[in-house]
Amino acid sequence: MNEKFHIFSELISEEQLQKIKKGFKFHFSAKDNLCTIDFQTRAGSKILDGYRPPFDATPVKRLRESGGLLIGKTNMDEFGFGSFCMNSSYGVPLNPFDPERSCGGSSGGAAAAVSLINEHVALAVSTGGSISCPACFCGVIGITPTYGRVSRYGLIDYANSLDKVGLICRSASDLEKYLPIIMGPDSHDPTSCCQPVYKPKKPRIKRMCIPSAALEGIDNDIESALEVAIEIIREQLAIDVEEVDMPSLKFALPAYYVLATSEASTNLARYSGMRFGVISDATNEHFNKFFSEIRSELFGKEAKRRILLGTHCRRVGFRDRYYLKALAVRQMIRKEFKKLFCEYDLVMTPTMPFKAPRFSEIEKMKPLEVYKADFLTIPPNLVGLPHISMPCGYPDGIPAGFQLIAPFWEEERLIHFAKLWEEVFSYKFPEGIS
Amino acid sequence: MKIGLEIHFQLPTLTKLFCSCPTKASEPNESICPTCLGFPGSRPSLNKKAFTLALMIAKRLQCKIPDVTWFSRKTYFYPDLPKNFQITQYESPLGIDGQFVNNGKIIHIQRVHLEEDPGKIKRVGKPSEEISLIDYNRSGIPLVEIVTAPDISSPKEARDFIAVLLDDIRSLVGISGEDEQSVRVDANISVAEERVEVKNILGLKNLENALEFEYARQSKLIKAGKKVLRETRRYDEERKVTLPAREKEFEEDYGYILEPDLGVFNIKELAETLVLCETPLMRAERISREFELPFEKAKIIGKSPVLASIFQEAVAKFSKQEVLTLLFEQIIPNWSSFEKRITDDAVGKLGEIIEAILSGALPSADGRRMLVSYLRGTEFMQGGTDFDREKIVEQVDAIIRKRPEVLRDYAENKRAANFIVGQLMKIYRGKIPSEEIAKIVFEEMDKRASQ
Repeated sequence: MNEKFHIFSELISEEQLQKIKKGFKFHFSAKDNLCTIDFQTRAGSKILDGYRPPFDATPVKRLRESGGLLIGKTNMDEFGFGSFCMNSSYGVPLNPFDPERSCGGSSGGAAAAVSLINEHVALAVSTGGSISCPACFCGVIGITPTYGRVSRYGLIDYANSLDKVGLICRSASDLEKYLPIIMGPDSHDPTSCCQPVYKPKKPRIKRMCIPSAALEGIDNDIESALEVAIEIIREQLAIDVEEVDMPSLKFALPAYYVLATSEASTNLARYSGMRFGVISDATNEHFNKFFSEIRSELFGKEAKRRILLGTHCRRVGFRDRYYLKALAVRQMIRKEFKKLFCEYDLVMTPTMPFKAPRFSEIEKMKPLEVYKADFLTIPPNLVGLPHISMPCGYPDGIPAGFQLIAPFWEEERLIHFAKLWEEVFSYKFPEGIS
Repeated sequence: MKIGLEIHFQLPTLTKLFCSCPTKASEPNESICPTCLGFPGSRPSLNKKAFTLALMIAKRLQCKIPDVTWFSRKTYFYPDLPKNFQITQYESPLGIDGQFVNNGKIIHIQRVHLEEDPGKIKRVGKPSEEISLIDYNRSGIPLVEIVTAPDISSPKEARDFIAVLLDDIRSLVGISGEDEQSVRVDANISVAEERVEVKNILGLKNLENALEFEYARQSKLIKAGKKVLRETRRYDEERKVTLPAREKEFEEDYGYILEPDLGVFNIKELAETLVLCETPLMRAERISREFELPFEKAKIIGKSPVLASIFQEAVAKFSKQEVLTLLFEQIIPNWSSFEKRITDDAVGKLGEIIEAILSGALPSADGRRMLVSYLRGTEFMQGGTDFDREKIVEQVDAIIRKRPEVLRDYAENKRAANFIVGQLMKIYRGKIPSEEIAKIVFEEMDKRASQ
């Protein structure tokens, strides 16, 4: 299976799997940017080749302690940089619905694994939509909890103020089962320490809204799938869906790229060929040359693009214009969401503006066009709101998805909605393995 | 000549600023973990003790404390910096606009902030085969940085200021004198217009030397009609000169951003509830102010909290002048001997004696002798009654028999008798007050000299 789809960057052998499976309650995979002691952790980058962390990431540890067997590390865009999962140094995963199409990024391997393997749950990570996007393209459920809900200890950072560990799975009951395991405070991650207790309950969901800006520039087949879905929601679930204005939505994308790349450029500074991963032996060179050479050689194109963009945004003179401005935009969008939640229980948008694209189509896209593809998943990520992507239709046999956004710490609304949705809509999965 | 200082000082915590590694280690790279090595996925958790201590220092320096504070990432590439960024405070120091009075002069404090130390590079081997070793024990050690305005006007003053400041801070945050901590200073110095920065000077002696060298160097340039370059220099300890710093990144832009892993800290309440213990210097300032004493005198009294409270209690009841006389003539000269044996009971007893003397309950001369004996821990015997005068006279005779020249010399110079007094004091080891011994010796010598 992995030879065909390149889902895993490292995987337990079939033999071993059969041998040890019995002692475990369930199996799971972890995106390759989550540290694990028993597998290499490379975050899709050549620069971390051979790196074996001395500790497990907290979410991995918690799933293991609950009886889970980690079967492998899923393929991803290098350091999480990408929307189509084509930026990995360790293979490009292929979409289980159509191997000529992308799985979506950056957690492409994770979504494909869930789509193909029965009863599998995948740990994934989202910075700007890296859970929603691949879940949508691969026809599975992806939940991104509130920022701070799940400890990031052991997560190889892309942009710390945006990164969130979440789950990709097949059903609302899996969400109910596994999400509480990975949630909760962890003293190793201060941002997880001030969260309210998660109380599973049955929230009332009566009113939802769609910002009209979210429907601009999306493909016709996605729009029609969404229209059908909304009709079902209105009629069968008796939930009111209204269109609303949300003017700040269009500023989310530029603000995101400024903040995410600024933070990323500092996070990636540590990869210098000195301490872990690939160690350079050019020890008699001046350190500036030593660092530059190994970074030029081993970072991928997209990583270099984002380091440069981020470093530029942080520089004196540009810092005020870009970095500090982006922080202000984030506050503005947060306020607008807050206002919407006074009236509506959930905010809805399509997840991606188009179906999983073919690799041949992606090659023709310019970097800026690729960035724009994430304009719907970025707003909730930028402000740290919990959100979920679920399949809502199959135009031409390829999944389309919608995304629901809840107020801070209200993950149970998303899970509850997923349950309701499953009563009126049945998911399709490609033929996989169990 | 204007000098401004950036003083880096290690805080006395058991663990590092952002992880639980011990701050003390005996072997290189012994006290390290994924966090202080900057391993992927590791992240910082703030050491609350370090944070509180730094806040105390900011408060001590009379800084304005903001309601919230946060940390920043300062990015630069250097082999001793594990993450290639340092977590420090850039926009949001713990305190700003403070001051410290040294020797009556106000030195303005621009900011006080907290930051992590990088590792330490050690170069070993022959010049041609030199290699660099890095010890990360120091990585993540909590440092407080104090930045002064360019208010200092001489190298000597700079040294003196830091010595007094550090003394004060050490007693504030509880570092004993034996636990000597090094201080690293960046000094900005301008003789004329242009400012030169000398980075990373280790210790006070080096600081004074570096500043003196800079003063001479800049003065010479100006005299010769040349321009002083605005630059960053380093101090070469062996050659005792400053040299242009080779590394350009010191001048570079560090691209500060917020440290997202730590978040924002609301410190208003903590800052308000934080009560500082009184340092000797603070005590001296207060005593000098409250009791209208010269600062130098107040400083001596303020050195010990017990002495200060004895003084205050006595002054409340008796005349200030009498108290001061007793303090400076009897108590302070013998204080160090008493301080070693200090207990609550001992202090209470001392208070009683002082009170007895000042109230006149004890005759002044006896009272003062008793006080001195008590402070020195020697037994006190009241003059004339409790010792055998005859025996002392016999001993004086015995010494004169052995050393007849003493008596001859005494006729010329009375001080010759001090030799005998000394001998007797050795014999009685403080059991008899020296004044008594001297009295007997001189009487006996006079008797014999006139025979």
